[in-house]
Amino acid sequence: MIGALAAAVLALASRDPEGPYRIVLLPGARAPGAHGEARLVFAASPFGVAVTADGRHRYNVRISAANLPAPATLGPYHALVAWEVSPDLTEWHRLGTVSGDTATVGETSMNKFLLVITAEATAGSTTHTGPIVLHGTSPSGWLQTFLTHPLFRGISQ
Amino acid sequence: MIRRTACALGLFAAAAGPLQAQDSTSMAGMQGMQMGAAASMPIPMPAGMMILPALAGLLPPVAPFLPGIGVDRSMLAATTPTTIVRLRNGDTLDLTATLVSRNIRGKAFVMYGFNGQIPGPLIRVAQHATITVRFHNHIDLPSSVHWHGLRLDNRDDGVPGLTQHEVPPGGDYTYTVRFPDAGIYWYHPHVREDIEQAMGLYGSMLVDSPDSDYYSPANSEQSLMLGDLMINADTLIPFGREAPDFALMGRVGNIPLVNGEPDWSLTVKRGQVVRFFFTDVASSRTWNVSFPGVAMKVVASDQSRFEREESVASVVLAPAERYVIEARFDRPGRFPLVNAIQAINHYKGEFEAVVDTLGWVTVDSSPATPDYAASFTHLRANAAVSADIARYRQYFSRPPDKQLTLTVAVTALPLFTVQFMSIDTAYFHPVEWVDGMPDMNWLSTASQVRWIIRDDATGKENDAIDWQVKRGDVIKLRIYNDPKSFHPMQHPIHLHGQRMLVVARDGVPTANLVWKDTVLIPVGSTVDLLIDASNPGDWMLHCHIAEHLGSGMMTTMHVR
Repeated sequence: MIGALAAAVLALASRDPEGPYRIVLLPGARAPGAHGEARLVFAASPFGVAVTADGRHRYNVRISAANLPAPATLGPYHALVAWEVSPDLTEWHRLGTVSGDTATVGETSMNKFLLVITAEATAGSTTHTGPIVLHGTSPSGWLQTFLTHPLFRGISQ
Repeated sequence: MIRRTACALGLFAAAAGPLQAQDSTSMAGMQGMQMGAAASMPIPMPAGMMILPALAGLLPPVAPFLPGIGVDRSMLAATTPTTIVRLRNGDTLDLTATLVSRNIRGKAFVMYGFNGQIPGPLIRVAQHATITVRFHNHIDLPSSVHWHGLRLDNRDDGVPGLTQHEVPPGGDYTYTVRFPDAGIYWYHPHVREDIEQAMGLYGSMLVDSPDSDYYSPANSEQSLMLGDLMINADTLIPFGREAPDFALMGRVGNIPLVNGEPDWSLTVKRGQVVRFFFTDVASSRTWNVSFPGVAMKVVASDQSRFEREESVASVVLAPAERYVIEARFDRPGRFPLVNAIQAINHYKGEFEAVVDTLGWVTVDSSPATPDYAASFTHLRANAAVSADIARYRQYFSRPPDKQLTLTVAVTALPLFTVQFMSIDTAYFHPVEWVDGMPDMNWLSTASQVRWIIRDDATGKENDAIDWQVKRGDVIKLRIYNDPKSFHPMQHPIHLHGQRMLVVARDGVPTANLVWKDTVLIPVGSTVDLLIDASNPGDWMLHCHIAEHLGSGMMTTMHVR
């Protein structure tokens, strides 16, 4: 079962032509036709990589999307806003607005995060309230515990 | 892969006798390697991690090696503090590599030193000077000296097999070393760097510009060479005699060192501006260092100043890179120098913050004189650097002249390693800041792991690439670090004898340029380099992770 899952993960990863910095964006229930991807591009830095003082990588989030619904078709909404969200959904940080097909919406430095685009009442919304239009998982989200693998049976229990 | 069979025991037994120089340190470990159960495998594991039972009975298929085999350690001189050797144009320096006794936290080890020092003498010269260095090899391995980052004459580059023969134990070699560019450089052997450099053979070269205003004013200057050492239970972990071990990740030591010491310290006055010359001399470790709570700005890197100084929160250095940092300690107290990174815990599948304290700066309450607060706050633009680069801008956007891909091929690794890695391939961090699986990594040697630089146009790899360049050409080189290999990893790629600009990363143009000789390429990234191929000769291009170099990751650019 887990082996099959790992194989599926590998197959998915192998379809990515440009490495680990791509996030596939999947549609929310209210916007089934929307689709897209995000690219994580290192933020500007005088060094070879951009990191925070505590070592978290800093990326600009570049979103390319298609078939995005007009926010007003989903309710009393006027903007699409991108958020970085902690895996346990307790932290939502506004990245920026999504308009048009491609936009660099802001910088993220979370180790693992969900990328969520919601419809909101205004472009300046600082809390998420509206329906999810697109969502995805950071590449680092594929980092999973080894201890669930059959090879470790007898060690992890 | 060798299990604890008679064969493996034979290898260790053969080495056990001559290892008397390490008798009180390594023999216990060697005994552990021979006789011990899984728990005694001498590889230090990260806190909270266990050696996997599936790997515990395995040993790398190489004989162990440590410096000083057959030598009585009590006959060796202890290392002496690093000296600053100021040389003028035409001067001569004798540089002798010897066995030394090095004390680390109360425990003596047999290591290597230049002129009895770790780091070796700091050579300070004026820009455009030329000196003669008479190298004497008194260690137990062949050696050489590479003058890292200098655009010197090819015959003095110190690369056995390309520009000279190895200098045998007891042999000598004379180098003519010239210094065309101001800044911080370093010297190290180009023979088995995984052993010789890790055991202490490295030193700085500080080249002063004739322009007294080259840097902003500072009250003092410090050269900090960042390295590490792998010790377990007071034992140096042996190296592979026939080939490097730790070939997948490189050897990431568990004891961070600043200037060869685990407990570096500095005392300054309040308000003092210190110019730090950072050099990463580790085999494999990339650092993210800072003085929390202390303002810093980055001024220069490998071969020049930046176009513009920038305030920075931390300094990222890959092996062989240098950065010149100015810091102002504006209030009394003790301030740590830390390496702060996000490690990957593969067992939990999570990131974990790790902070290593490398040393302390004690700031007195007495004020520094002069007070350089005003000049420190000002971020200078270096018009001369931009002017020098201006004539190369016409080449920035043109298609690459050559494209290389970085990857790896493996054979005959333990089945468990292959299985684990196949799971791990779902995600690779752009930079592996620590070795999260030293038990697995230790077992990989250069006989099983082949790191590859591949020419996209011809498919040729490593030393089979025949790259001919006309002197004076400006070459655009695109390098892609393939994330889909068995074990993708960042690579600090170093080009000898020339200078280059990193003009773009992942398609994003570089906003603030600096002349480099070493470039960090994260997993999955693409860098565009512009090489000023002005220096004739045969020049190496290679990964500066010592074990990757030892596993074949090198090629040569011939400038005619």
